[in-house]
Amino acid sequence: MKKSHIALIIVIAVLIGAMITAINDSSSYANFAEAFANPTDEFHVVGQLNREKEMIYDPLTNPDEFVFYMYDINNEEHKVVLHKSKPQDFERSEQIVLIGQAQGDAFHANEILMKCPSKYTEGEVTAKAESNS
Amino acid sequence: MTIGQIGNIFTVIAFAASFMSMVAYFLADRKNDDTYLRLGRISFLAHSLAVIGMVATLFIMIFNQYFEYHYVWQHSNTDMPMKYIFSCFWEGIEGSFMIWTFWHVILGLILFKSVKGWEAPVLSVISAVQFFMLSMLLGSVIFGHKFGSNPFTMLLREHPDFSNLPIFENVNYTDAIDGRGLNPLLQNYWMVIHPPFVLFGYATAIVPFAYAIAGLLRGKYIEWVKPALSWTFFGIGVLGIGVLMGGAWAYESLSFGGFWAWDPVENASLVPWLTMVGAGHLMLIQRKKGVSVLSLFFLTTITFCLVQYASFLTKSGVLGDTSVHSFTDLGMTGQLAVSLIFFCVLSIVLIAINYKRFPTHEKEESITSREFWMFVSSLILLVAAFIISFSTSFPVINKLFGTNLATTVERIDYYNQWITPFAIITSLLLAIGQYLKYTKTDMRSFWKNISISAGLSTIIAVASAIAMEMRNPIYIALLFTSLLATTANTHYWLLFLKGKMKSASASIAHIGFGLLLLGVLISTTESEVISTNSSLYDISVLGEDFSNNENILLMQNDTLIMGDFFVSYRGKRAEDNFIHYEVEYMQPNESGELEKQFTLYPYLQLNPRMGNVAEPYTKHYLHKDIYTHISYAELEDKSEDAILEEHSVGLGDTIFTKTSFMVFDSLDRTPQKRFGGLTENDLAIGAHFTLFDVNTKAHQLEPLFVLRNREFSMTVPDSIPDLGIKISFDGIDPENESFKFRILEEAPKFNDFIVMKAIVFPGINILWLGCIVMGLGSFLSVWQRIRRK
Repeated sequence: MKKSHIALIIVIAVLIGAMITAINDSSSYANFAEAFANPTDEFHVVGQLNREKEMIYDPLTNPDEFVFYMYDINNEEHKVVLHKSKPQDFERSEQIVLIGQAQGDAFHANEILMKCPSKYTEGEVTAKAESNS
Repeated sequence: MTIGQIGNIFTVIAFAASFMSMVAYFLADRKNDDTYLRLGRISFLAHSLAVIGMVATLFIMIFNQYFEYHYVWQHSNTDMPMKYIFSCFWEGIEGSFMIWTFWHVILGLILFKSVKGWEAPVLSVISAVQFFMLSMLLGSVIFGHKFGSNPFTMLLREHPDFSNLPIFENVNYTDAIDGRGLNPLLQNYWMVIHPPFVLFGYATAIVPFAYAIAGLLRGKYIEWVKPALSWTFFGIGVLGIGVLMGGAWAYESLSFGGFWAWDPVENASLVPWLTMVGAGHLMLIQRKKGVSVLSLFFLTTITFCLVQYASFLTKSGVLGDTSVHSFTDLGMTGQLAVSLIFFCVLSIVLIAINYKRFPTHEKEESITSREFWMFVSSLILLVAAFIISFSTSFPVINKLFGTNLATTVERIDYYNQWITPFAIITSLLLAIGQYLKYTKTDMRSFWKNISISAGLSTIIAVASAIAMEMRNPIYIALLFTSLLATTANTHYWLLFLKGKMKSASASIAHIGFGLLLLGVLISTTESEVISTNSSLYDISVLGEDFSNNENILLMQNDTLIMGDFFVSYRGKRAEDNFIHYEVEYMQPNESGELEKQFTLYPYLQLNPRMGNVAEPYTKHYLHKDIYTHISYAELEDKSEDAILEEHSVGLGDTIFTKTSFMVFDSLDRTPQKRFGGLTENDLAIGAHFTLFDVNTKAHQLEPLFVLRNREFSMTVPDSIPDLGIKISFDGIDPENESFKFRILEEAPKFNDFIVMKAIVFPGINILWLGCIVMGLGSFLSVWQRIRRK
C-alpha cells in the first residue's frame, strides 16, 4: 500500500468525522413551540416584531438587555430578552431571526439578525432636491 | 439612439461573440484549422471590445446620473459623493458580473499574446465561461423564462407600476427623479477597492482551469502544468490579499467586532484560495518529481468550481438571513446553478474519460522526501476547505434536502476550533518543508539544520505564552508552530540562500503565512472586551446568566474606568449624515492627575431609508489596537410629556411640584426697574417665589403679570431650565385675594449618554504584515518564473 493511499484514508476519516460533528454541533430553525419544548437546546427562531407591545431598553440600568415581543411564523407570541444592546433601527425591522434558547417564560437570544424592508423592496421614487432640479 | 440601447448592443455583441469564440476556438483545436483559429481570434477580440464597451457605458450612465435607468436609479443618487461612483458600479449583481467578465477579458487578452501553442483550447474555455456569465447580463425573456438581469434597462420597464406616480406624468421626468442611493454600509473607500480586487482574484482562477481543461481535451496531461504554474501563484497572491482585504474592511469600518466573522461570504472566498494553494503546490511537485495527475486535475478544476460556487452563494440569495453581505435574489438562482453544475460536470466528465490514460505514477515517495509532505499539505488544505464549505453550505443543504440546519450562535468559536488543528499541521509542514529534500532527506543534517529555529521558537513561544497567560495547549502549539514557520524560513533564507532574492519566493511567502497565523492567533485569543460596565448602575442584580456585559454606558462628562484607561464621553457633533461621538481616553500621570492620551470618534451614519449604521473608530498602536464602536445612542431628544398645572394661591402659600416646592414669598410692585421691556404706562406686578429643588437648593423665580395701556393683559413667565420648570402669572382675583399661576413641569432631562463597545486587539499588525509579506512572496515567485523564461 502506498503512503499516499494511507494519507487518503486518513483524510476521508477526518472528513466523515468533521461532517458528523458539524451536524451534531449545528443549531436548527424552529418555531417558539419547539424552542419552549426543548429549553436546553439552541434554536434559530424567525418571526416578526409585535409593534403593539412595549419594547424595553433602558441602557441606564443595563445596556446589554433589550426586551420585546415577537410573533413566530405560526403567529405565536412570546417575550424575548435580547442580551445585547438594542439594534439600530430596530423598529423598522420586517423580519427577525433570533438565536438563543427558551428559559422560563421568555426566549433569551444572544444573537439577532434583522431584515429591514427598504433594503429589499423598492417602493418609492423620490424627486431630486430643489437645488439640483 | 439612447445610451441604454448602446449598452444593450454591446451586451448582445459580447454574448454572441463569446459563443462564436468558444465554438471557433474549439473547432480550431479539434480540426487544427487556421480558418477557425482566425475566426476565434476575431470573435474573442470583438467580445473583448464589447465587454469593455459595456463597462464604459455603464460607467458613463452612473457618472452622468441617468436615473431613468433602473441600475443607476437603484444604486446611486444625487447626494452621493463622487468618490463612491465606483462603489455604485459594483454594488449590484449586474455590475459585479460585469467587472468579473472585464477581468476575464483582460486575462484573456494577456494570454492571447503569451499563450503559445495553447491558444485555441485555453481561449475556448475562457469564452465558454464568458458565455455563461454574459447570459446573466442579458435580461431577455426567451421561451417565457427571463435570462439574467440587464443593467441597461429603463426604470419604467423594470417598474411599470411607477408610471402611475405623479412624478412620471411630467414628460421630462428624467430630470426630476432622484436615485435610491448607495447602501450606507458601502459608502466607504474599502468598497471602492475591495470588490474589484477580490473579483480579480476570482478571475485568476480561470487561467489554471482553462489550461487543465485544455490539457484534458488534448490528452496532454502534464505539459499544461508549466504555463499554468505562474498563473496559479499569481492568483494565490491576488486572491489571498483580496480575501484579507475583506477582513481589513470588516475590521476598519464595520461594527462586527473583528476582522473575520466566518460569515458565509467570507468563507466562500477563503475556500477557493485554500484549494488554489493546494493546486499550486501539486504543480510544483509535478514540475520537479511528478505527482498523481488525478489529484492535480482535481484540485485545479475544483478551485474554479469553488469560485463559481462562491458566486452562486452570494448572488443567488440562498444565504438569505445567514449572511450580512450577500446580494438580493434577482431570480437568477437557476441560471447560476446551471452555470455552476455545467463546469463541475464538465470537469468530472473530462477527468473520468481521460482517467485510464493518465500517466501512472507508481514510484513510492520516501517519507523523508519533500514531495511527500508537500502532497500531504495540499491534501490538508483540501480537507480544511471541505470542512469550511460544509458548514457554510447549510442553507444549500437545507434547500436540497429539506432539512433545517443552522450554524450555531458560537459560529466563530466553532470554526476556530475546527480550523486550529489544520493551522498547526500546515504551519509545521511549511516550517520543515524547505529543509526536506526532494526524493530523500538525510535526517541527521535535517535535525541539525532545523534545531536552531526550533530552539529559538520554543524559547519565544514559552516566554510569550507566559507573558500573555496563554493556557490552552492547542493555542500554545499553534503559537510554537507559527513561530517555527517564521523563524525556520527566515533562517533558511538567510543561511542557505544567503539572503538572496533569487529563489527566495517560497521562504518569503512562508514567512508571511507564519506571521499571518501568528497575528490571527494572538489577536483572536488575546483580544479583550474592555468595555465592561463600570458605571454606578449595578446590572448584576438583573441576573448574570445571560449578561454579556460587553458594553459600557457613558454619561456625558462622567469619567469611568475602562481597561487601562479612564474614559469620558465629551459630546457629539453632527456633520452631514454623520454623528461623531467624542470619547476621550485618559491615564493618570506621575502626580496622579488624569492626563488626556487620545480621543476617538466612533460615529453613526444616518440614513433614513436604509437604516443607521454604526462605524468603528480605532486607535492603532504598533503592538495593539483599541477598537471602539457605538452600540446604542439616543438619537432624538426624548423629553417626556410635560405636566401643566394651575394653582390659585395666596401670598405666603407653598406650591408643590413633582420634584420641588416653591414659596410665594412676596409681591414686587415695581418690576419696571428690573425688566427692560416694560414701559411707564404698563401696570405690572411680579410674584416672587423661592423654589427648593430635591437637593434643597434655593432658586429665585419672578413671573410677571402686566396690563399694557390698561387694555390687555400679558404675562412674562420665568423658568429654571435645569429643572424643567416654567411658571407664568395668569391673573389676580381681587375678591379672594388669590393669584393664579400656571406651572409647566417637564421631566428633568437626563444627560446625554452613549452605549459603547471597546475591544483591544493585540498583535493585529503582525497579521497585516504577514498578509503583505505572503503576497509579496507569491508575486516574487511569479516574477522569478517569468524571468527564467
